[in-house]
Amino acid sequence: MIKKGVAVSGLVLGSLLSTHALAQTEGAEYYNDRYCMTCHGADGMGSEGIRGPRLAGMEPWYIKRQLENFRAGVRGTHEMDVPGTEMRPMAVPLTDASITDLLEWIGGWEYKPTEITLTNGDAAAGQPLYGTCAACHGAEAQGNEALGAPALAGQNDWYLFAQLKNFKAGYRGTHAEDTYGAQMVPMAATLADDTAILNVVSYINTLGR
Amino acid sequence: MTNPVSRREFMNLLGATFGTGALIRVGSALGMLPAVAALTRPVLAAPAPGAGTAVILGAGISGLTAAWELAKAGYDVTVLESSNRAGGRVMTLRSGDVVDEIGNRQVCEWDNEPHMYFNAGAARIPSTHRNLLSYCKELGVDLEVFINESKTALIQDDAMLDGKPIRNAEVSTNVRGFLGELFAKSFTTAQLDQPFTESEAETIMGLIRQFGSLDREMNYKGSNRAGYVSGGFIDHGVQKEIIEFKHLMKSRLISQTLSANEGETGPLLMQPVGGMDRIIAGFTRALGDRVKYKTPVMSVMVKEAGVEVAYLQDGVPQTITADYCFNCIPAHFMAGIEHNLPGDYMQAMKYIRRGEAIKGAFQARERFWEKEEIYGGISWTSAPIRQLWYPSHGIHKEKGVILAAYDFGNGGEFTRLSQAERVEWLLKGGEKLHSNYRQMVEKPITIAWHRMNHMLGCSARWGRSGGGMTMEEEGLYHTLQAPALGRHYMIGDQISFHGAWQESAILSAHWALADMDQRVRSAA
Ligand SMILES: Cc1cc2nc3c(=O)[nH]c(=O)nc-3n(C[C@H](O)[C@H](O)[C@H](O)COP(=O)(O)OP(=O)(O)OC[C@H]3O[C@@H](n4cnc5c(N)ncnc54)[C@H](O)[C@@H]3O)c2cc1C
Repeated sequence: MIKKGVAVSGLVLGSLLSTHALAQTEGAEYYNDRYCMTCHGADGMGSEGIRGPRLAGMEPWYIKRQLENFRAGVRGTHEMDVPGTEMRPMAVPLTDASITDLLEWIGGWEYKPTEITLTNGDAAAGQPLYGTCAACHGAEAQGNEALGAPALAGQNDWYLFAQLKNFKAGYRGTHAEDTYGAQMVPMAATLADDTAILNVVSYINTLGR
Repeated sequence: MTNPVSRREFMNLLGATFGTGALIRVGSALGMLPAVAALTRPVLAAPAPGAGTAVILGAGISGLTAAWELAKAGYDVTVLESSNRAGGRVMTLRSGDVVDEIGNRQVCEWDNEPHMYFNAGAARIPSTHRNLLSYCKELGVDLEVFINESKTALIQDDAMLDGKPIRNAEVSTNVRGFLGELFAKSFTTAQLDQPFTESEAETIMGLIRQFGSLDREMNYKGSNRAGYVSGGFIDHGVQKEIIEFKHLMKSRLISQTLSANEGETGPLLMQPVGGMDRIIAGFTRALGDRVKYKTPVMSVMVKEAGVEVAYLQDGVPQTITADYCFNCIPAHFMAGIEHNLPGDYMQAMKYIRRGEAIKGAFQARERFWEKEEIYGGISWTSAPIRQLWYPSHGIHKEKGVILAAYDFGNGGEFTRLSQAERVEWLLKGGEKLHSNYRQMVEKPITIAWHRMNHMLGCSARWGRSGGGMTMEEEGLYHTLQAPALGRHYMIGDQISFHGAWQESAILSAHWALADMDQRVRSAA
C-alpha cells in the first residue's frame, strides 16, 4: 500500500490529538487511493446503483489509459456525462505511482460472470450491427490491445449502452486529445437510435465470457 | 349567506393558512391535541438454542440500534462497518477530523475546543422522536436545546426590498398582521355564530387579533413585535415601520420563514452536548469490540442454515455466518455487492434513487452574529447556500463554527464544483446576509453527501411522482422491508416513509427486530 507513510505522519496524528470519543476507534493507516470499490462494487464487479462499471477483468492498459484521460480532463469533463464527471475528481489527485498501485490491486480481482440487465433487446438484429465493432474489438468482443480496443464481452450491459450513447451524442470522444475515443464517435453514429444500441449490446451479451 | 364553516373546516382552513402551529394552538384552545408517536423499543425473547448469532452490516444508527437490542437479549452480535468510523450520516467534525469525500479529501483545522464542532449530517432532534430520545437517556447522552428559529436572524432575497436583509421578526410580524386583518374581515362574528357558541367565537376573534397583533378595530397598524428602531426601555421606543405585504410577497422565503419552525423542526428541538456523534459513541461504547471498522462487506449469501457474509479485514477476505442479518448498507451499493437476494428485492433496491444533500461550514474568527443580536437560529437567503446556522452552543465564547450552506435534496451543482469554487460560492452567499462575512470566516469545510465515501447519497428517494409513494412504490417498499428467507432484513431510514431522520432509521430497526422476534417466539 503506497502513501501509507504520508497518512501516518499527517492525518493519524491529527485524530490522535483530538480528544473526542471516536478517536480511539480511528485506526492507523487511513488514506490511500484505493477508493475504487465504493463505486465499482466489491472486487470491481460493477455497481449499477452508482453507474460504476466493472473493473474486474478489464485490461490494465485500458484502465491506465482511462485513468490518465480522466486525470488530464480528456474524459469526464462533459457536463452531460454525469458519472464521468463523478469519476474525474477521483483521478485528478492520482500520481503515476498510485496508478501503478491501483492496476496491481485491480489486477488481483477475480472476474465473475456479469449479470444481464438488458433483456428487451433483439440480439439477432444486433448481430449485423456488431460487424462494425468487430473490426477493432474482435469477433468475440474479446478486445485487441494492438488497436487499443478493450474487451466488451463481460462488461456491464448498462455501461456499454450508456457509453455508446455518450459517443453518439458527443459527450465522450470529442476532446481533442482523446484519439481513441475519437475513433468511436463515427462508429457510434452508425447506430441509428437507442433501439439499435440496445440490440447491439444485446448481441454482445450473447458472446459471454 | 355563505355556507357556515364547521369547526373542523375552520381548523383545516387555519392550518392551511398559518401552518400546523396555528392548528395546534387553536386545537388546544378548543381542547383537542394531536397524538405523539409511539415508543416501540422491542423486548426481545432470548435467542432459540443454536440460533443466537446476528451480523449487522453497516454501523449506521439503525444497525447500531439492532446490534444493541440484540446484544441485550443475549445474541452474539458482530457489526461490520466499511469506514474507519461508525455513524454513517451522523457525523460530527472537529479539529483533525477527515472529511472522506471521494476526490476531495479535507482535514478539519478548527481550534481544538469542545464547542468548536459541526454536525455535518444529522443536527436536530425533535421532541417527538421518542425512540431516539430514549436511547440518549439510556446511553447517557447529555442533551441541550437546539435553537432553530431566532427572531433576530435575517431573511434576504434579491427579489425583495432591493436585496436588503431584514429581521425574521419583521417578516413574521408583518405577514401575520396582513393575514390577521384579512382573516378578521372575512370571518365576521355573525358567520362564526353559526357553528360556534358566542364565547367560542369570541375566543377565535381574540386569537386572530393576537395572531396578527391587530388593534381593537381589527386593523394592523404595525407592532412592536417587529422590534424597535431605537429606545423602548428607559425612553420612548420608536417602532419599526410596517413593511407592506406587497413587498414581502416578492420572496418565496416568506413562507419558508413561517413554516421552517413548524412540525418536526418546530420547537423544541434538541442536540447532544458536544456533537450528534455522542449518540453513536454511546452505542459503540456499549457494544465494545462487537463493532469492527474498515471491514467492507463484499458478499451476502442467505442460505437455509444461515446468512454467510464475506468481508475484508486489512485487505484479507474473511467470512462470518450468522442466524440473522440486519443490513443498513445504502441500497444503491447492493448491486455492487455479491449476493443471492431474491430478484424482486433487487428490483426494489434498484428503484430507489440516490438523494443529494450538501452542507458547508466555517470557523468564525469571532462570533460576529452576536454583535448583530443573533444568538442562534437560521438566516435565510435566496442565494444557493439557502441558509446560515448560528451555533446554539458556545454563546459568548471567542469563536464558533457557523453552518455556511445547507441544501437538503439538492446541491448537485455544488457537488460538481472544485473545493476552491465551493468556498467562493459559500462566501458569496454569506455576504448577502453579513457584509463583513468574508473577513470573519476561515477554514472552510464542505460536505457533499452524494460524494462521501461509503455513503454516496442522502437520503433514499422512493417517490418519483413528486407527492408521496404511489401504490407500486409502496409495493416495492414492502418487498424490501420483508425479510429474505426469514433471515436477512434491510434496515435504515431507506426502509421508511420518512427518510433523513434518525428516528426513522431506529424505527426501521425496531420493525425488523419485532418481526424476527415474532418468528423466534412462534417457532419456540
Ligand atoms: C445533511 C443531513 C442532515 C440531516 N439532518 C438530520 C437531523 O437534523 N435529524 C435527524 O434525526 N436526522 C437527520 N439526518 C438523517 C440521519 O442522519 C439519517 O437518517 C440516519 O443517520 C441514517 O441512519 P442509517 O441507519 O439509515 O444508516 P447510514 O447513516 O446510512 O449508515 C450506513 C452505514 O453503512 C456503511 N456501509 C456502506 N457500505 C458498506 C459496506 N460495503 N460494508 C459495511 N458497511 C458499509 C456506511 O459506512 C455507514 O456507516 C440528516 C442527514 C443528512 C445527510
